[in-house]
Amino acid sequence: MFATNPFAALSASIAPDAIRFYVVLMVVLVVAGTLFDILHKGSARYFFANWRKSKGSAEVDLIPIAIQTVAVDVLASGEFCNPKRRVAHLLTMYGFIFYVVSTVVLVFNYPAAAQASFWPQLWWLGGAMVLVGGYWFWFFIRVDVAAEGNSPFRVVHADLFILSLLASVTLGLLWAWLGGVVLFASYSLATTVLFGGVPWSKLAHMFFKPAAAFEKRVAEANGTHQNLPTLTRDDPRQRERHSMELLKDAPMDMGLGIKREPPRHY
Amino acid sequence: MACETIVEDGIDILVVGAGLGGSGAAWEARFWGQNKKIVIAEKANIDRSGAVAQGLYAINCYMGTRWGENKPEDHVRYARIDLMGLVREDLLFDMARHVDSTVHQFEEWGLPIMKDPKTGRYLREGRWQIMIHGESYKPIVAEAAKKSADKVFNRVCVTHLLMDDSRENRVAGAVGFNVRTGNYHVFKSRTVICGAGGASNIFKPRSVGEGSGRTWYAPWSSASAYGLMIDAGAKMTQMENRIVLARFKDGYGPVGAYFLHLKTYTQNCLGEEYESKWFPALQQMVGKEYLDPEVSHLTHRPIPTCLRNHCIISEVNAGRGPIHMVTMRAFQDPHLEEVGWENFLGMTVGQAVLWAATDVDPKNENPELTTSEPYVMGSHATCSGAWCSGPEDVSPPEYFWGYNRMTTIDGLFGAGDAVGGTPHAFSSGSFTEGRLAAKAACKYIDDGKAEGIGVSEEQIERRKQQIYKPLEHYRVYRNAIVAGDVNPHYINPKQGLDRLQKLMDEYCGGVTVSYMTNEKLLNIGLKKLKIMEEDLESLAAKDIHELLRAWELKHRHRAAECVTQHTLFRKETRWPGYYYRGDAMKVDDANWHVLTVSRRNPKTGEYTMEKAPCYHLV
Amino acid sequence: MPTFVYMTRCDGCGHCVDICPSDIMHIDPTYRRAYNIEPSMCWECYSCVKACPQNAIDMRGYADFAPLGHSVRVQRDEKKGTIAWKIKFRNGTEKNFLSPITTKPWGQAIPKLAEVPGPSSEMRDSQLLYNEPKWIRMDDGGLHTLEAAGLKLKKGVQY
Repeated sequence: MFATNPFAALSASIAPDAIRFYVVLMVVLVVAGTLFDILHKGSARYFFANWRKSKGSAEVDLIPIAIQTVAVDVLASGEFCNPKRRVAHLLTMYGFIFYVVSTVVLVFNYPAAAQASFWPQLWWLGGAMVLVGGYWFWFFIRVDVAAEGNSPFRVVHADLFILSLLASVTLGLLWAWLGGVVLFASYSLATTVLFGGVPWSKLAHMFFKPAAAFEKRVAEANGTHQNLPTLTRDDPRQRERHSMELLKDAPMDMGLGIKREPPRHY
Repeated sequence: MACETIVEDGIDILVVGAGLGGSGAAWEARFWGQNKKIVIAEKANIDRSGAVAQGLYAINCYMGTRWGENKPEDHVRYARIDLMGLVREDLLFDMARHVDSTVHQFEEWGLPIMKDPKTGRYLREGRWQIMIHGESYKPIVAEAAKKSADKVFNRVCVTHLLMDDSRENRVAGAVGFNVRTGNYHVFKSRTVICGAGGASNIFKPRSVGEGSGRTWYAPWSSASAYGLMIDAGAKMTQMENRIVLARFKDGYGPVGAYFLHLKTYTQNCLGEEYESKWFPALQQMVGKEYLDPEVSHLTHRPIPTCLRNHCIISEVNAGRGPIHMVTMRAFQDPHLEEVGWENFLGMTVGQAVLWAATDVDPKNENPELTTSEPYVMGSHATCSGAWCSGPEDVSPPEYFWGYNRMTTIDGLFGAGDAVGGTPHAFSSGSFTEGRLAAKAACKYIDDGKAEGIGVSEEQIERRKQQIYKPLEHYRVYRNAIVAGDVNPHYINPKQGLDRLQKLMDEYCGGVTVSYMTNEKLLNIGLKKLKIMEEDLESLAAKDIHELLRAWELKHRHRAAECVTQHTLFRKETRWPGYYYRGDAMKVDDANWHVLTVSRRNPKTGEYTMEKAPCYHLV
Repeated sequence: MPTFVYMTRCDGCGHCVDICPSDIMHIDPTYRRAYNIEPSMCWECYSCVKACPQNAIDMRGYADFAPLGHSVRVQRDEKKGTIAWKIKFRNGTEKNFLSPITTKPWGQAIPKLAEVPGPSSEMRDSQLLYNEPKWIRMDDGGLHTLEAAGLKLKKGVQY
């Protein structure tokens, strides 16, 4: 099962070109949806206005910062402070990438072939990763459930992306396993909602978050630090401050106090 | 909302409210009851709950007896004069003799206390005050409480005390709801130590929009200590003794370090000293015993806080406001400037935000002061709270009924703002009161006084219905209207709070009436409060957060009613500058050199008022 | 001055929701990020600002009386035991502060009272609290009492 191209049997009832058209349409919907979202909300104007205002004193070379952003914040989901959240996001993100890339390759290069090199396995692997990361997030990590105490079965607007993603992948894998019109129709519907819902869901965070991470790194490099304080105990001059008298002989690592425990105290 | 009932049974000591007072109780209880079950119920998160959430820059109650700096009886005399003579001197003496050990423990635990470079002792801000870097004061103290407690229930708002069904007037625990899950929590306990908050936001604040959050005393101090105890039928004392504070305008930032350490002073808008102008008339009103400016340089006979307020209020009403604090000279010294700013950052960040927003640099201009709206609490320059028993070796018979800090309800103890008659306790004194209550509560249990407590299923079920009623009421009657908050069948907690604040302001001496009231106004106020109580049965909450606000309002309302009853009862103006009785504008030591004590009958809602004798150390 | 949360910085971790003493930091149902649901109950205590690992929360002075254009930001570093503040006035003046928040590693200097030697019955019957009188005075004196101070409590009007 895992070595067979799930879209091969489909080409018997639906023309391969129609499937390819659908895939291209989904991509267009994501791009168009994101652009529409940006223009409609004016978020790009805000972003660039903010960028101009935060020009600091130091000259910064943007290229190395961009590379760092991609390597750490994007590829390694480095912005997460909590290791569990980071792992869940990495699973979901890379799972989604494998799943989408292998779908595109299978649909465009192997429309009717049952054997398709390693791509079917990658499709299944990607799907499984999305399900593990996604359901873990849905039931345990979601902040409105974990920290706010809401029921995991409560559904709100913010759940549009994760639910449609989980639905699309779950139904897709189920369809690939069991076949049938009903599963295929549900799978298509969930997938359309996932990609078409960009203006109303959080899918577009894949564009916004890297931009924000880049902006944050630039602010640190150019000295503005977004108005955050920069004095630390690491600086020997600060250790000499009158107010720091009481820490003269104290260890540099005091351990953790409130931060020792995860944010779930009810 | 489907909610489970979660019962915690077999508790020996239940600490309701884990601020400084409650944390002290939980901490010490473990020493006297190493095998006892200690449980904390706190409506927020113990690490940052209570009035010390953002930190403190000074500990205002420290004797320094180990260095011979002060004696407890000196503190008693100081607090006595500041409160115009009416305090519980047995409780005060008891707190003052123990508070040092609390402060020394804090230092041991890691609280940064500033040292005097010359003497090596704690750096004094004033005779009773020392300076600290206390941004993490609450997290450090909370850690101690957590180490002692068996279980800490965060986000559980206690709404009612449970009473023993088998015997009158004995506490049996408490009930409340979880602010996150919505579950119903029942705590069955042999004793309860109430460390919940005093009352902020029961009078209309000076700032009414977002700014109504910038209260002097924390906005989450919802009078729950008073609401819980009054509802259970405990006797309360000095509830009329509300406090008004002279602080920096709008931000209500602290002025203690400024006056004491930076040696600043005040002026009217013409740059004149104004207090002495008002003293002659004031002396006529209160008597030379309470206001003697010549003697005031002796720091244990200060000019009472309320009288200083009176001078500000009078001067402003005479058209020579605003009152400024002269900081320009002191702030030229960079070290004092740093202290002045850190004083806010460690205690009232909002004041620093306000000065940054308005470009106020105390080096270049003298900032404005104002008198705040009234607050009712018990550990500052005010002493409202429950009528409690004192320590056996100090208290006279009228003040002692078996166990230190026990209220008139058996097994119900108080700590911090919950206890009446102990002003000037502040953070360290409140923690100390918690410790005293904990020791006494353990003794109460060991003496067998908590045997045979029974709580009926009926009581537990009845309270559950009461607690969730606002949610149910909203759910049903929301169907009457299209949208919005205006509905003839209910009010929401914010609407209720607005109404309570306006009522108390206009009839019980708030800011818009320059703190003036009289018998007629107070009676109208009581009538309106009664009608409001009926409307509170139609309180509606659309979610769990609003349910929290609903119960905070109910506690505030109950406390406000008690405050009004006490204000009506005391027919004199004991604390001009806190409030005035227009129909009795003098201090009347002949008739009113007493403590007022009230009890609300839980079944009928009737108040009985009595005068309790006032004892002084001689 | 109530709090607000930066859209681009908040990643929905829940620390602010967990710590807020006023129960006003909650999760927005559209964005699944934090926001202040009731600014009129915000004391500006900065508990949430200090707790946020992403520095996503900031403060804007109460609209009742604070003009725009200011910034007061903080870094609370538990490991180093310090708190750093940067104040920026509306007119651009800047002030920086750094001070300690603990002198000992967190929690380590606090004993577990369940494990210390318990009180004797003599101590139980006395007025002493844990660790007293050692922590009140350095001499051999005991707890202060009215007898020791030569005082008594008298009813009635005294000054």
